[in-house]
Amino acid sequence: MNKTLLSAGLALVVGLGYSLSAFAQAKPEVLVKQRQAAMTLVGKYWGPVNRMRQGKAPFNADVAARNAGYLAALSKMPWDGFVASTKDTTAKTRALPEIWENPDKFKQAADNFQSAAAKLAAVSKGDEDGFKAAAGALGKTCGGCHNDFRQK
Amino acid sequence: MRYPPLAAVLALLFSAGTAPALAQGDAKRGAYLARAGGCLGCHTEQKKGSVPYAGGRALGTPFGTFYGPNITPHPQAGIGRWTEADFVRAMRHGRRPDGANYFPAFPYPSFTRIADGDLRDLWAYLRSLPPSAKASRAHELGFFYRWRFLVTVWKWLFFSPGPLSKIPGASEVVNRGAYLVQALGHCGECHTPRNFLGGPKRDRFLAGGKGPEGKGVSNITPARLKKWDDKELAEFLTTGTTPDGDVPADAMGEVITNTTSLLTPQDLAAIIAYLRTLPPLPDEKC
Repeated sequence: MNKTLLSAGLALVVGLGYSLSAFAQAKPEVLVKQRQAAMTLVGKYWGPVNRMRQGKAPFNADVAARNAGYLAALSKMPWDGFVASTKDTTAKTRALPEIWENPDKFKQAADNFQSAAAKLAAVSKGDEDGFKAAAGALGKTCGGCHNDFRQK
Repeated sequence: MRYPPLAAVLALLFSAGTAPALAQGDAKRGAYLARAGGCLGCHTEQKKGSVPYAGGRALGTPFGTFYGPNITPHPQAGIGRWTEADFVRAMRHGRRPDGANYFPAFPYPSFTRIADGDLRDLWAYLRSLPPSAKASRAHELGFFYRWRFLVTVWKWLFFSPGPLSKIPGASEVVNRGAYLVQALGHCGECHTPRNFLGGPKRDRFLAGGKGPEGKGVSNITPARLKKWDDKELAEFLTTGTTPDGDVPADAMGEVITNTTSLLTPQDLAAIIAYLRTLPPLPDEKC
């Protein structure tokens, strides 16, 4: 057999096994904290975007573009923290059991958030109207998770 | 006067001319009061393009599902045949024109505290709405809960009718806030925990717990409210964004959109000032 192919395949299997096992070894409390960290930063960068959208803060093309980029990246991060091992954790979390009882709905909400964030980041820098419209659409996706899958 | 008959005629004409004017409310003021009271939320269907105040909104509760009725001035489908006295009786006493009890899903335990003048203005506003022929939907209630005469017992236990009295020693601002919160805003209807009979726990005012539809509601006594300053609270109630960029639950989001974001800055400040005077209570255990 092709030596390169074999060693590549071996590396892949070892690498996959390593990353999977390393991932699975992370304690539930740590995973909870990490996904919460991602959400905290979403709040941090969403705040100014929302204020610009509502006209409560002057539109700043640089801040708008930078925050949109951050939000698009952050929107992808929390999900690998919602693994089954965190379902019954004693760590302080507002995640509801619904997440694991209704995984398709949860995934749909997560996907909506990610695609709306990506759309916001795709708005041309300086396009104030486009930005505000996309920000409005993004704001509508928050409730998809927070209303049904988060406590109070 | 020298000519008593003339005086009598003049007095009659004068009173006839002014009496209707005194009895009529101000529909414009009433529009603001209706926003402060959040009437739109329960009396409008949650559907795109639905007619305001024509009814149809479902409210899920442990007793069944209630549907807010049509309160436009349509003579058959709405309250077009009502008199002002009927309206006052509904709001102040929780009774229909035919004398039957309203279920307290209609928050008359709060609305009873609204002042006479405001009720008059609200009535004028409702009369000014375009009539809608949309039929009100019947409630879907559990077996015992659908008997209106049992509400008489509930009222005896939990309902004290009458307008709100001023808090002695409190400022005008705090009193205005108390009125907006306790009477029009009816915040306690969601934010005060209830016992198994659906009666509000008086000593746990605004301590949160489980809302009518089973979802958690926040404790908004100073035990929790102290975490935000006045500016942050005002911003939350106008923009619907928390200081750390978070969003409210859908139900509160509606309240912000339909009510608190539409209040004058003075009224919003009054609400916040009043809330800060309340006794700090621990969170209600859900």
